[in-house]
Parts: sequence; structure tokens; C-alpha cells
Amino acid sequence: MRNDIPDRRAETGESQADLAAAVGVTRQTINAIERERYDPSLELAFDLAAHFGCRIEDLFDPTAEDR
Amino acid sequence: MSERTTPATTRPSTRKRYKRIAYALLGAGIAALFVAVALDRFVLGVALYWAGGLGMGLVQRFSPVDLYDERDTTIERKASESTMNVFAYVFILGAPGGLVLEESGIVTLPGEFYGAMWTLFAVSAVFGAFVLYYKYRT
Repeated sequence: MRNDIPDRRAETGESQADLAAAVGVTRQTINAIERERYDPSLELAFDLAAHFGCRIEDLFDPTAEDR
Repeated sequence: MSERTTPATTRPSTRKRYKRIAYALLGAGIAALFVAVALDRFVLGVALYWAGGLGMGLVQRFSPVDLYDERDTTIERKASESTMNVFAYVFILGAPGGLVLEESGIVTLPGEFYGAMWTLFAVSAVFGAFVLYYKYRT
């Protein structure tokens, strides 16, 4: 699913590993989400949104065409 | 950005460390099995192998951090699904096909064929039982 996690990470200066540690998953999982190869669970999506202080729909765009 | 701090138990380094310990225990058990078999100490070898496997299971069960995240679980589920699909085709096509060929006198099937088919039947039965169980619970 299309998302703007890379942009938000760039804003906060976090690495994939930092974000992965913050939400309790592996760096590979964050990488897969950013590359739109893995859709996170609802729980992880909430955690990511909470981490960036936004809503899930601000972070993910389900209407965008998947790669 | 939230101000949450990362508990030590969710840090990747902690997860990696416990994963390494778990795999090292299993690896040591396997190595011990080979060494013991080479020394004709079969019972000891199997005991050490089981101890390694048990150690791995205990680390996975009691480590303060989840060793696998949701993507790992998804990957395993997809791999299991694909594996079941492959063997379902082998069983569905192979069992009746083999029996028909043997009954027709075209081939003589070895005992291993029947062993394999019964094994696939047992795996399919267990799979079906779990499907029903989770369907009931979900």
C-alpha cells in the first residue's frame, strides 16, 4: 500500500532501524512497507501513525494503485 | 512525533541476540548428534540433539523479546499455504493415479509410494482438523 513513511522518516531524521525499534518490528519489515511489498497489520499501522503523530489515513493511501 | 522510548526488549539488537542463541543451541544439538553418531554413541547423540531443540524452544518461548515480527509470521503462513498446495496436488493426483496404474498392471508401485500417500493423507487430515478448529474459534 502506498505510504509516505520514507518522507516522514526524512523529516524526523530517523533511520529504518530507528523506526523499527520504536514500533517493535524488524528493519526489514519497515523496508518492505516502504517499498509497498508488505501491508502492515492494523495494529502496526496504528503504532506507526501514533509514532508520527498522525492518522492512519494520513500515512497510508489505500486508493493509490499498488505497484 | 511521539516521545515514546524504545524498551530494551523490542530493540533489534536484543531480538538478534536471542535469535542467535536459539539457533546456536539447535546447531550445537545437530553437531553433537553427528559427532555422537560418528563415535557410535547414538542414544547420547539423540539426547543432545533433543536438548538442543528443547533449548531453542525454551529461548523462543521465554525470551523477553518476540523473536519474530508480524511480517515473519505472514511469510511463514504464505510458505505453509504454498507447501500445502503443492502436496495437495501431489496427493490428489498421485494417489488415485498410482492406484489406477498399478491396478492396470502398467506399473508395480513400491511400498514407499503407499507410505508417502498415507503420510500425505495424515498431513491433510491434521490440516483439515486445524482449519475446522480455527474456523470454529474465529
